[in-house]
Amino acid sequence: MGLRPAAGLDARAVVVSLGGRVVVHGVDLRVPPGCVVGLLGASGSGKSTLLRACVRLVEIEAGTIELDGEDVGALDARMLRRRVGLVAQTPVMLPGTVAANLRYGVAGLTAAALHAALGDAGLPASFAGRVADELSGGERARVALARALTRAPELLLLDEPTSALDHETAEHIGATLRRLADGGLGICLATHDLAFADRWLDRRVALT
Amino acid sequence: MSATVLKVLAGAGFAAIAVALSLRYRLGRAREIAIAAARALAQLAVVGAAIALVFEFPVLAAAFVAVMVATAGLTAGSRLRELPGARARSLAAIALPALAATGALLASGAFDPTAREVVPTAGILIGGAMAATTLTGRRLLESLHDDRGEIETRLALGDSARMALAPAIRRAVHTGLVPVVDQTRSVGLVTLPGTFVGLILGGASPEEAAATQLVVLCALLAVELGAGLLLAELTQRAVILPGERVRRVDVDR
Repeated sequence: MGLRPAAGLDARAVVVSLGGRVVVHGVDLRVPPGCVVGLLGASGSGKSTLLRACVRLVEIEAGTIELDGEDVGALDARMLRRRVGLVAQTPVMLPGTVAANLRYGVAGLTAAALHAALGDAGLPASFAGRVADELSGGERARVALARALTRAPELLLLDEPTSALDHETAEHIGATLRRLADGGLGICLATHDLAFADRWLDRRVALT
Repeated sequence: MSATVLKVLAGAGFAAIAVALSLRYRLGRAREIAIAAARALAQLAVVGAAIALVFEFPVLAAAFVAVMVATAGLTAGSRLRELPGARARSLAAIALPALAATGALLASGAFDPTAREVVPTAGILIGGAMAATTLTGRRLLESLHDDRGEIETRLALGDSARMALAPAIRRAVHTGLVPVVDQTRSVGLVTLPGTFVGLILGGASPEEAAATQLVVLCALLAVELGAGLLLAELTQRAVILPGERVRRVDVDR
């Protein structure tokens, strides 16, 4: 899988409100290239919302979020989302096979790149032909990670990537994230898994 | 006893049977059925009188059609209240295709521009457009709520908001078209539709009734598809936010 040049994320004093309620309270978050940063905090502390705000799926009320020094609010939203991979906590599979999911919106993805992305997510190449809608929660989480990787992201955001995985698979994902970060990719993940955090994170940001 | 009174009595008899069945099987719908039948009686009496007036003073036909369109817009809008500006959007989705098709039928000479032909023709098309608008709109609103995860996944993968909504739009428009497609497909085999029956009862030849029914059914296909597509477009304009985002929609079921 080829990666684009990595981009750093710099969020300052970010405030997000949903339905009139402040969900993210003035958070600072820096994700330099080559670093795995964890967002830790209780349920409802705004971890998922902050990740979604980074790709403008929700708009921020105050503060700034910059990708490689550019205000994400000034970037074309579609281009921003093509540069930044976001894996949701409960990944949704699009209709069709796993391969169709990985190829979605990616022109000219080779079979080798597809299989490499599956391997990085801890899945065998034979998984490409499986019907995506029939996968278990853990399998979906790994396919969603592979789907994000096939897009050669400049930055990777993951929301509770190991919550549906057994220990062994979570370790495989941790090792993949470590290898990607060592290759220069910036990674930010929200997690409750303190053992995973201890083992794989370079830096932590606590949300209250 | 006149034929009109006999028909009203027969209708009341059938309503009474429906109420009795509901009571007998404790369906809890007896009151609703009785009220619906009473409303139908009152509404048809008023409509009958109004149409008699329109036939006497044809200039009133435009006003009558306008009232039908407005009522249809309000009815469909009330079913889609979670949609911002639901009544205005429903009104536009119903009025444009229904009135355009009525105009086309008159301009082509398929129907005479008389109140006797304009009012029922417009009524059928407005009714069809209303049904398609309501069905399409409900399905779309439910999809915006239920398929939120899929829509947001597509957005996160770099789709535009319109691209992300396209599958939900297709499903909704398909749902809105099902009744008219089925009606058209089964015409004459399962049911004899209202226009055909009405013309036969009115003394028209079967050939003339069939030709009229055909043009009405085909016009309904186009009008209902147009209404569904227009409602879908107007819904997209209401829910797509700046920055390629889609407004969250909560639905009442």
